Amino acid sequence: MGMLKEKDREKLITLFKGIKEDVKIAMFTQEMECLHCEMTRMMIEEVSGLSDKLSLEVHDFVAEADLAKKYGVDKIPAIVLSGDRDYGIRFYGVPAGYEFNVLIEDIMDVGKRDSGLGKAVMAELAKVDQPVHMQVLISPT
Amino acid sequence: MDFPDFSLDISLLEKAKEPEPEVTYDLLILGGGPAAMSAAVYAARKMMNFAIITKDFGGQVRETSEVENWLGFQSINAKDLVDMFEEHVKGFDIAVSLGPAIAEVRKDEETFKVHTDDGKTYSSHTVIVATGKRHRPLNVPGEKDLVGRGIAYCATCDAPFFKGKKVVIAGGGNSAFTTAIDLLKVDAKVTLINFIKGWQADEALQERVKQSDKAILLDYHQLVRIEGKDTVTAVVLKNRENEKEENLDTNGLFVEIGLLPNNESVKNLVKLNEQGEVIVDCSCRTSVEGLFGAGDVTTVPHKQIVIAASEGAKAALSAYDYLINKSLI
Repeated sequence: MGMLKEKDREKLITLFKGIKEDVKIAMFTQEMECLHCEMTRMMIEEVSGLSDKLSLEVHDFVAEADLAKKYGVDKIPAIVLSGDRDYGIRFYGVPAGYEFNVLIEDIMDVGKRDSGLGKAVMAELAKVDQPVHMQVLISPT
Repeated sequence: MDFPDFSLDISLLEKAKEPEPEVTYDLLILGGGPAAMSAAVYAARKMMNFAIITKDFGGQVRETSEVENWLGFQSINAKDLVDMFEEHVKGFDIAVSLGPAIAEVRKDEETFKVHTDDGKTYSSHTVIVATGKRHRPLNVPGEKDLVGRGIAYCATCDAPFFKGKKVVIAGGGNSAFTTAIDLLKVDAKVTLINFIKGWQADEALQERVKQSDKAILLDYHQLVRIEGKDTVTAVVLKNRENEKEENLDTNGLFVEIGLLPNNESVKNLVKLNEQGEVIVDCSCRTSVEGLFGAGDVTTVPHKQIVIAASEGAKAALSAYDYLINKSLI
């Protein structure tokens, strides 16, 4: 039995038909999985199976430490979303509850190669001339 | 393995559908205030194929605290009222472009083209302009840089941030005095600055402010510039009687010098009055066939929620009649 409800699975299959370009998903866990690592892996395995445009690689945070370092992943469970390039999108912890919406929206944005931001916002962001590390912290309540 | 407390929620993905650029709609409604929302309800009930293009829903009502003149409610929270409007509108299956600003409206022969600032273009046989009004800026040095950093245009939204502080209010009409009353309630010390001699506000409002020992009123003064680096620290005033300038320390500035119609997207298309309002007749028709106007952006007097809502209804029904008469529906 999957983690998704059947009707949600159908909705996601329909939604993912809007994905135009390949989305690469990398998930970091470890051999002795914590509870949240296992939850996250099972969830992302199920989600990535809903569209041919989604590919999933599951990595071992300990055994593949160099790869984790390359992605800048310093904790698990971690999900990395990328397309033609690495957009810097990382999810740490299990994106459950409402945060699952955000994960799906990000998959769609990467798949469309479109952030959904307007021209004016993009023009403002183009003025940023140094690396910016943005972190969004959410609580489970 | 089962995870009993684990849930995956996709409810937020179920957004309102977006307008489709390849469709020629019966009607496009521009704006999201009471006029636009009322027009949407009437258009939906006429089964028109239409879409709404707006940056957000609520319009100026969201900047108000309580509404005491909406029929059926002795008093109702303004946000609650527009939330109910929005819920009513969204009860119909309506396409909504929410967020991008309307850049320009053009008419190519019989079809309107509405361009938004995200590069999209939508087409329709009729358009209702219900884009409302916005606060008029002072256009003095320092204003653009310090908006949101001590400069405010909405007392209902921002007065609590100035609790116990010194605040200057630019303006002499009802909105300036209402702002002063809101600020006095949070124990702020207020200085009202009016460009002309005397005050335009209702006597009752003036009296409430004048009786406070925390209010100073300076008429016939010009606000020359706003000073401050990260936040407002002072304003420079000029006494128009003797031309002398003085520096007034302040923690904030509320600009209450009237409203400007949001006419930019149609100003090259339709006739406006001297104030920039879209000229409409009693059927909400404008100088351009198929283009209708409703609410505060138009010449209809008395900018009130109930009037905007009524005008929105009229505009939708007029657009419907137009489509029938032109055999476009």
